[in-house]
Amino acid sequence: MSSYDNLSTKLAGYMRRVFLVLPLLFVLAIAATGGNALAALTVEKFEIEGLISPASPKALSEALEKQLQVKVVDLNLKNSSSGWPLLSVEFDSDQLTRDVIEQTIASIEDPAGHTYRVHQGPAVISAPFTDEEKAAMAALGPAPPNVQALTNPIESTGASIARGKEHYDKYCTTCHGLQGDGNGPAAHGITIFPRQLWVWNNTDSSVDGYLFWMITEGRSDMPPWGVILLENQRWDVINYIKTLTKPE
Amino acid sequence: MAARIKPPRMRIPRKIKKDDIFKVKVRFEHPSFTGLGMVDTETMPTFNRAVPVTFIRNMLVYYGEELVTRFSMTSAIADDPMFTFKLKAVREEPVTVAFINNEGERWEVSADIKFTA
Repeated sequence: MSSYDNLSTKLAGYMRRVFLVLPLLFVLAIAATGGNALAALTVEKFEIEGLISPASPKALSEALEKQLQVKVVDLNLKNSSSGWPLLSVEFDSDQLTRDVIEQTIASIEDPAGHTYRVHQGPAVISAPFTDEEKAAMAALGPAPPNVQALTNPIESTGASIARGKEHYDKYCTTCHGLQGDGNGPAAHGITIFPRQLWVWNNTDSSVDGYLFWMITEGRSDMPPWGVILLENQRWDVINYIKTLTKPE
Repeated sequence: MAARIKPPRMRIPRKIKKDDIFKVKVRFEHPSFTGLGMVDTETMPTFNRAVPVTFIRNMLVYYGEELVTRFSMTSAIADDPMFTFKLKAVREEPVTVAFINNEGERWEVSADIKFTA
């Protein structure tokens, strides 16, 4: 027998052993990871309604992990873009579906007896006014009588806009946001979202009286800035508001 | 919190003479939530959205066909509120009170005004 034949026989022997051992190693690896090596793990986010007591977040996470084979990766309580608490859940998509997790969340009760629910739809439900409401508002006067047809006495120059921006950044951004998109840091704490001010971009003088009245008197959660800002400062703010453009 | 919404109820005096000023009481079992709950109570207590915002947005009062008043409300309104207002009995027609909540749903309650001798 040639040395070449000996070598090939040895190689074949090694290969046979390797092929015998490989499946065994594979099985051992799967057993060691508890079956997760084959699992298709995925992370999904759920907006949660009902986290109203301090004990609620912990109770929800614990109950969910106890009832289903899932791992709660994160529960973002106050920095989510929609304002709703955001629950991130890692689960095996072969074993579970989003619907099952939503149903389980809905079946869990917090220590105070309240139930949770996965939020669907927009952050705030505020249906448009019905025809009946519009008719009622028209019949009983939609606009307050003290909105006067004023015209801005301060010309919209660069200096006025700069002064307006200064006041706007100081007083208005908290709620209306830097870009006037109604999404300032305090906006999430207000029942009705602040107005998007870029809608006044490049509007003519016919809206001056309304804007001046609104800033001066305030409405709902907006305070009457007439007690803080001088008359010419309010007009500067109006000049600046009219330069705000819709954010991309 | 009201467990569920119930139809509104209205109460008017049993005897009303013409040109009397009478009281109308309306009770509506409807929940009211600002939608906010307190989170992170240990380190930095802040409010965040906790439940959907729910409140009665408008109450419209009709005397016959005529709209006589409108009550505009916010989420500051109480759970299950009771409204009391006065009307002058000028004609024998029904008084109708309509409620519309922030989701655009509408409820209505009505009572006939009949003059006593």
